[in-house]
Amino acid sequence: MQYRMTKLIGKKLITLIMTLFLVSVAAFLAFQIIPGDVVNAILGTEATPEREAKLREELGLNDPPVVRYLHWIGGVLHGDLGRSYRYSKSMNEMLPVAELIGDKLPVTLWLAALAVFFIVVVSIPLGVFWAQGKSHFLDAFLNVLTQSVMAVPSFFLGILVTYLFGMVLKWFQPGGYVSYQKDFAGFLKYLVFPAISVAIPKIAMTARFLRNSMLTEKTSDYVRTAKSKGCTDRQVMYGHVLRNAMMPVVTFLGMIIAEIVAGSIVVEQVFGLPGVGRLLISSISNRDFPVVEILILYITAVVIVVYFLVDLLYRVIDPRIREM
Amino acid sequence: MKEIAAKAMVKIEDLSVHFGETKAVEHVNLTVAPGEILGIVGESGSGKSVTALTLMGLVADSAKMISGRILFEDTVLAESGKPRDKALYRRFQGEQMTMVFQEPMTSLNPTKRVGAQVEEMLLLHTQLTREERYQKVCESFQAVGLKNPEKVYRAYPHQLSGGMRQRAMIAMATILHPKLIVADEPTTALDVTIQNQIIELLRKINQKEKNAMIFITHDLNLARRLCHRIAVMQNGHVVECRGTQEVFADPKEEYTRRLIEAVPSRMKPKIKIQRSNREPVAVVEHLNVYYHDGGGLLSRKSRQQVIRDADFTIYRGEVLGLVGESGCGKSTLSKALLGMNRDIEGEIRHFSTRPQMIFQDPYSSLNPCKTIEWLLTEPLRAAGEIDPAFKMSAADRRAEAHDMLRKVGLDEKYLDRRPSQLSGGQRQRISIGQALITKPGLVIADEPVSALDVTLQAQIMELMRRLQDEMHMAYLFISHDINVVYQMSDRIMVMKDGQIVEQGETEEIFRAPKDPYTQLLLQES
Repeated sequence: MQYRMTKLIGKKLITLIMTLFLVSVAAFLAFQIIPGDVVNAILGTEATPEREAKLREELGLNDPPVVRYLHWIGGVLHGDLGRSYRYSKSMNEMLPVAELIGDKLPVTLWLAALAVFFIVVVSIPLGVFWAQGKSHFLDAFLNVLTQSVMAVPSFFLGILVTYLFGMVLKWFQPGGYVSYQKDFAGFLKYLVFPAISVAIPKIAMTARFLRNSMLTEKTSDYVRTAKSKGCTDRQVMYGHVLRNAMMPVVTFLGMIIAEIVAGSIVVEQVFGLPGVGRLLISSISNRDFPVVEILILYITAVVIVVYFLVDLLYRVIDPRIREM
Repeated sequence: MKEIAAKAMVKIEDLSVHFGETKAVEHVNLTVAPGEILGIVGESGSGKSVTALTLMGLVADSAKMISGRILFEDTVLAESGKPRDKALYRRFQGEQMTMVFQEPMTSLNPTKRVGAQVEEMLLLHTQLTREERYQKVCESFQAVGLKNPEKVYRAYPHQLSGGMRQRAMIAMATILHPKLIVADEPTTALDVTIQNQIIELLRKINQKEKNAMIFITHDLNLARRLCHRIAVMQNGHVVECRGTQEVFADPKEEYTRRLIEAVPSRMKPKIKIQRSNREPVAVVEHLNVYYHDGGGLLSRKSRQQVIRDADFTIYRGEVLGLVGESGCGKSTLSKALLGMNRDIEGEIRHFSTRPQMIFQDPYSSLNPCKTIEWLLTEPLRAAGEIDPAFKMSAADRRAEAHDMLRKVGLDEKYLDRRPSQLSGGQRQRISIGQALITKPGLVIADEPVSALDVTLQAQIMELMRRLQDEMHMAYLFISHDINVVYQMSDRIMVMKDGQIVEQGETEEIFRAPKDPYTQLLLQES
């Protein structure tokens, strides 16, 4: 078991590194192809040719693409993530990408953690409850409710949440934000409502998914066995059905989590949170290549790591997979 | 009869259960006394399982109890017109009455350790401490003949063999010494040798604990060996309910007689065919077949030998039977013959074109989205792609399908139906039609009757023989049931652990089996 685990992790690490490399090349190539020029983006179209040429030289843009890529990846391998073309630290010094992202990442990660927490804590009991099929009315009600919640676009949901909790109930200050370095508790408080906006549609999806999975699982023979032992409906659902029904749900949750950790761009925008998602959008329009490249690598790594965790969870849930 | 009724512990009185329009159970009266084993025998759909599940309070919610009531000792468990009282049932389920199900693999929770699943009985119904529970579970494993109870306790269901799983199920059903045990086809999914052990175990438990037992089966022979009384069910009715000896000595009902006769038996005369010449359709020489496990981008494959040195010939117009327990390599051999397994050593020579296959499960082997016509004409379309002789118009194909349908005993109104609208027996007829429509020289039939009731079994086997007379192909007939193979085959091969241990003329092997394994198989059945 120990050996198998080490082997598995080793294998996944190799996959991770190979994927990151391929993605970094692809992102670099994409940047060569898309129209637009970083020098124009920085200086505007009115700049003199001399200034443009000087900046081009400074940024190393006159080197051939292969050299630039090698230069960049050499830096990354040595722990230097490069410097942003766009953001500067002082008049003459450009902001290191590591510093820039290090600033935004906690916002996105904490937002994701809160959202995932809400999703798991609400959707699983809701799905189990729903699958018990207590009454037709409740079934129909939950069906309509989840369907409509899923259909609402997240920016609109964000506006609704802001309106309801911010303007009417005044539980938080819309547009306000406290940085986590200053006041961590306050920071979390500001993240709760964005996290709810992120979570609500996903809760609806996950609950529906879990319910369907449990309804299928409920027809299994072992459920009849559990009933023949004298288990109550609740004991059958939580003690037997839930774990087996979680298999497809875990995959689905993995997809959702990867999506959220990669940045909930719309929600960050609506709530004015300085997260990774917003940074990605602005950096792409600014042609801020070093920042975009690192963000893409971050998202890739997140997706792969989350899927690896899903893989591990499979093994925990289903003993038959452990032996494969 | 009166005596038993007086001391009866479970009484089912005038029970009728309907599912919508379907009348599953009609006015059934049954009783069981302590220490008695009652057999309920009938074909699938006869209402035997619904009766048992209703008694146990486990029948689906869509079932409606139209009439009657169920008594357990002096308690009325269920009565028509009243909704099912789940709380009342839970006082009896597990503690007073338990059930052993047909399929021990799916009836156990795949993600829970076997020990924990048995222990759940104690958690639900007793106040024992953790150690006491563990002790008791291990004792119960020992009592049902599971050696190494600690290991079984920690195992997951898939890590045990079918027989061990069923023993664990029985341990679960007996651990609280219930007054009633209902066993619903507990041996149907098991090999013959294991079947007998389980039957013996149930008999032993009944003798020791003196509990009432209801044994549900479609196999009259099994019921005969275990049960004191037998109730024969047909279309929801109990048509006959008497002592086992009496039922067999003098069956009152035509239906009972048919059931007794349909059981494949060595006592009955075989259908004989004359073999004109010894012209081979397939020759297999020194065949080794390997199987691969795993194998991804970065993992190493493991290669296992499944078939060892198989040597045999199938002749035109004969039926070659292949018998052995599940997992012995029967299906692997048939796949290799059809070229579906490429890692082989040795030689397979075919002297006929397009060998075809008939599969075991007519429910899952027919595409449910397609019409019968589409399914029957598909082999013709496929053959037309590679063989100009089969290039034909859609109208011709339809005509062929039409003919074939008649040959397998169905009429043309079925052409536009889909598999779900057909019964199991009808579906298997379609499978046979699919296999035969391109007039192959060799047909491999992999357990073609194992999923069917005895009476259907007899019909399908007769159909296969009749079609062979008309079309002169050879069958490789695979089954785990040696009696079925006896009925069908001219020659027999016996397989064990991937090796053909014996082959020869059917009569000869049955009269004087040479290999000890063949002798064992013949004794057990």
